[in-house]
Amino acid sequence: MTMNKPSGDTSHLYDGKTVRSSAPSRKKLAGQAGLGSEIPKDAIPKVEIPSFIESLLGGPLVTKMKFLAPDRMVQNLQLGVYGVLVALSLMTYMVSPPEGTIWYMVTGNLAIAFIMQLLIIAVAAGTGFWGTFQRDGRYTLISNLLFILAILRFAASKVSLASDPFGLQDSATMLNILVVVYAVLLVMYFELANGVIRYSMLDTSIRTNEVYVMNPKKIVSKYHRSLIINPIVAGVLAIIVLSANTILPLIVGIFSSDTALRMEESVELISVYGVALGTFFVFCIVGGLFALNLPNHLQRFREKRAD
Amino acid sequence: MWSRKSAMLGSLAVAMYLLGLTLRNEQLVTIAVVVFVFLTWAALFGGHADVASSGRRAEEWSGEEGLALSSVSAMRKLSSARLFEDGELSVTLRMQNESPLPKILEVKDRVPEVMRIKEGSNYILMELGPRRETFIEYTLECPLRGFYSIGPVAVRIQDPFGLFHKEKEMHVYDDFLVFPKMEDLKDTFVKSRVPKIFTGAVNIRQPGPGSEFYSLREYFDGDSFRAINWAAYARSGKLMVNERERDAVSDVIIIVDSRAVAETGPVSRNALVYSTRAAASLAKFFLGRRDSVGVVVYGDEVVSVDRDTGKKQLYVILTKLAGAVARGNIPLQVVVNRILPHINKGSPIIFLSNLEDDPTIVNALRDFRARDFDVTVLSPSSLEFEFDAKRIDRTGYEVMKTERDVLISELRGLGVNIMDWEPDMLLSTALAGARGF
Repeated sequence: MTMNKPSGDTSHLYDGKTVRSSAPSRKKLAGQAGLGSEIPKDAIPKVEIPSFIESLLGGPLVTKMKFLAPDRMVQNLQLGVYGVLVALSLMTYMVSPPEGTIWYMVTGNLAIAFIMQLLIIAVAAGTGFWGTFQRDGRYTLISNLLFILAILRFAASKVSLASDPFGLQDSATMLNILVVVYAVLLVMYFELANGVIRYSMLDTSIRTNEVYVMNPKKIVSKYHRSLIINPIVAGVLAIIVLSANTILPLIVGIFSSDTALRMEESVELISVYGVALGTFFVFCIVGGLFALNLPNHLQRFREKRAD
Repeated sequence: MWSRKSAMLGSLAVAMYLLGLTLRNEQLVTIAVVVFVFLTWAALFGGHADVASSGRRAEEWSGEEGLALSSVSAMRKLSSARLFEDGELSVTLRMQNESPLPKILEVKDRVPEVMRIKEGSNYILMELGPRRETFIEYTLECPLRGFYSIGPVAVRIQDPFGLFHKEKEMHVYDDFLVFPKMEDLKDTFVKSRVPKIFTGAVNIRQPGPGSEFYSLREYFDGDSFRAINWAAYARSGKLMVNERERDAVSDVIIIVDSRAVAETGPVSRNALVYSTRAAASLAKFFLGRRDSVGVVVYGDEVVSVDRDTGKKQLYVILTKLAGAVARGNIPLQVVVNRILPHINKGSPIIFLSNLEDDPTIVNALRDFRARDFDVTVLSPSSLEFEFDAKRIDRTGYEVMKTERDVLISELRGLGVNIMDWEPDMLLSTALAGARGF
């Protein structure tokens, strides 16, 4: 578009920009009176109106940016997604037996429910692979939703496994850990798939000189470190939080052993409601810490310590 | 501040938590808990502890930016505060981290929308070490005249997963001025026929005491011997003397139409852009010739630069032209009525306008001509700009072109030197055309 322009002409600088505002002109009216009466496209300022979903989410769902070929960092992330996707698919199949699924509720047929469940997991994995390979957020989003759909089961207060080659079903703790690992894998899949898009955007911006990155190795290494540390910490903390129904009787036991025993044997506390109750208490504490502005105090403490 | 991603994850976790309770599904509750923990950990220990803080209890915390960003400061240096259109401006932004902790920062120095980054980048992602500073350098191409500001500097800090971020706008502004670019003119064909006796020597088209050669003539008694052209005497055998152009003050008045309608056309190609460039070029030429130049810019108000000479006057004029904004719709007659009593009869007047949407133009210019002013009109054709940009169709163009030609003919009939200035025509060509050369 910038070819063959006279040297003094700077109009090419405005190609694709919407900075113009034409003054009202009677010429424009004359133009409209002619054969081609439609208003020129560039005469109307571009207004991006977000869709209902986009306005709920606070912006465009999928970026319209065209990425350049993936660099090594993005390729590594893609490989990471593929690995997590395989593990996640297997885990989803393990922790979501067809009994209790929507398909089983609707059809009442275990075989159909089994096929449906397998199909959903396969499609979720397929769209996840394709979305990551193509770096298309739409497919990744579909994959995320399908994985969530696969785990939606009714009447499953107790965790049951579709396939249990290691006999984990017998140990409540192992079962708990398995579910937490599954949940961490799911969250990591969300994060890694998003990371592929995020770093593709960044890489494209760097290569088109839109953004300059100083010391990219440090920034990337920080991300890599977080990819390892955060899931481990999240998993451990989640196990502690989910064990609240075990921890609570222990604490109560200090004051009254009878009450602690009653709590341990209470159906409510060892059921999903007990887990939820424990979680609720833990997050009330976390909320309180935020209300007390703990992050700021923490930052101040770290800065002082560094001084 | 929560990002869209963290908001989505948070909403998902809440939904799963509630759904898990409704369906009595422990897996869903577990996933929700893991997501909550993931978010909490990222917010608290994601490298920048204060990114998700929302309370306002800490006494030290002033402003919206939080502690981590309060220790980041910025300073900017421009290579020049004044430049001409299509010139380049080098910007150096110094970012300082006064904190003892390293920070990963996204820095964006906001530049005017019409500017183009020619070299470097104004958007940087960097890790700024403890008590370190860094310099960000980039070059801007400035294609359009005007008053501009660079700034503020937007700084963002976020956790590695992009879940939470804090933004700060550092109100560091630097102003600069882009003058309209000028064309070198060899001649404008505009000369005053009326001598003046005030200071400032300008050629008027009459022989008299001066410094510039005008013609040769035969020697008469009383002529100074110093004026004898001996070479001509040797050639012709007759005593010949050099006649010089009479030096005198010449007031040149340039009127620039900056009404809203003057901006009809694309941003970089419209009557106002052409008019300001022409006015700058003419002012430079006349001031170089030691004329006294005054400029009147009218749009929503009449802004005038009183006649004066010298380089300083050129910059005063350029500054006024740089600030000319297409606004309002004052008729030319109002301008003429206002300036007529203050300008010397017979002074050259150069009027730069697209001659659009003003029914008083003919009467106003007739007033000038009636008082024997030498009027030159250069009219950048908005019609051509619009047609080139494909904003009007052929029929509309033809109709308007005819209307414009009629107006130009009418003005020419009044003795106005007028030229329909087409977009690709040089100013010197347009001037020569207007003056009948």
